[in-house]
Amino acid sequence: MTGAAYPDWDAVYRDNVTWVYRLMYGKVGNQADAEDLTAEVFMTALRPLRVSATVPEVRKYLRMTARTVLASYWGDRMGRQVTAIEEDVPEVVARESVASDAPDKVQKLLQRLPDNYRRILELRFLQAFSVREAATQMGISVANAKVLQYRALRMAALSREEATS
Amino acid sequence: MSERTVRRFVERVLRGQPTERADPDDFEAQQMKTAIELRAARLGSDAPREEFVTDLHRRLGAELGAAERHDSHDPWAPRRRQVVIGGSVAAASAVAGLVVGHNLLAPTETQHATPQRELDPNAGTWRRVGAAVDLPEGGALGFDLGSVNGFVHRTDAKLEAVSGVCTHQGCKLWLDGPESRLRCPCHSTSFSLNGATVTHQLPIAPPPLPKFHVREINGVIEVFAPNQPA
Repeated sequence: MTGAAYPDWDAVYRDNVTWVYRLMYGKVGNQADAEDLTAEVFMTALRPLRVSATVPEVRKYLRMTARTVLASYWGDRMGRQVTAIEEDVPEVVARESVASDAPDKVQKLLQRLPDNYRRILELRFLQAFSVREAATQMGISVANAKVLQYRALRMAALSREEATS
Repeated sequence: MSERTVRRFVERVLRGQPTERADPDDFEAQQMKTAIELRAARLGSDAPREEFVTDLHRRLGAELGAAERHDSHDPWAPRRRQVVIGGSVAAASAVAGLVVGHNLLAPTETQHATPQRELDPNAGTWRRVGAAVDLPEGGALGFDLGSVNGFVHRTDAKLEAVSGVCTHQGCKLWLDGPESRLRCPCHSTSFSLNGATVTHQLPIAPPPLPKFHVREINGVIEVFAPNQPA
């Protein structure tokens, strides 16, 4: 079998909208932008797409479209690529890693930080506590919590850079 | 050097607000990236909203539909153009790697041309298709009785059953529950649960689906179906 095709655009959309959205969400970190970018991917990709393309071909094509769409989003907002979609990821890995890979990577990152840095980032980013609530949890002042949060983020960013280079 | 760029960005990320324009340097961009990754790792936050998925589906339908109508002005246009994937799709790093025709996936809204008929076999019997409790208000249920198959649904406490075979070329319909549609895998025709043709992309609208006689008796849903050949 050379590969199944989708019966129509509707099926292409249904089968792929969730992972495209998740991929975008993981790259921009907010719902409104992730929705806009997902819409742009499908608007761009579906119009010229004919469904005789096989399922893996369609997915690859969507991923490439997403890559281009994200690049122009960051170019426009920041003049540089804050995040990017990697080009050559095997299809299976690409689909699954969208959902499962991110928390794992973040856990590893957090484990490399000193305790109070790890804690403030967990409270603020992962558990959605306000600065005030996080400060109370940690038994520190709000001002201290703010400073701690930014230092922690700086260190996380540095440690991330070291880990990847 | 200013910390404000990152702070402002991070505050918005934490509040779930869209990204604003800024001009970060390398290290600031790196911190932004880290903030995004941390925020995106929050459990349960990366599933698309149902309303978004539905709304985008509708917008795509409208968008593709407009292209289709525009397209069909040319009577000589081939009815079924194919996407030709140039060489290997690996080359599709470029979106332009796909050589494509215009879209004709878009369904066309149809007017009712043919009246809906009832399925009246010469010789038939009432056959069980399911328990009444399995079909709540607003639900739909597929059935296959050998001689016929179809879908029964309950709307406003009323039962209705229609054939599960497309009136165009006889392909077997599938139930799209969330959208309350019966969809044909062959040519993207779709029918409502009561059998009306809703969308199609054929030159002539396929007729609506024939209806079965259906009843509910002692907690059992039955459809009047032709007898099996002996």
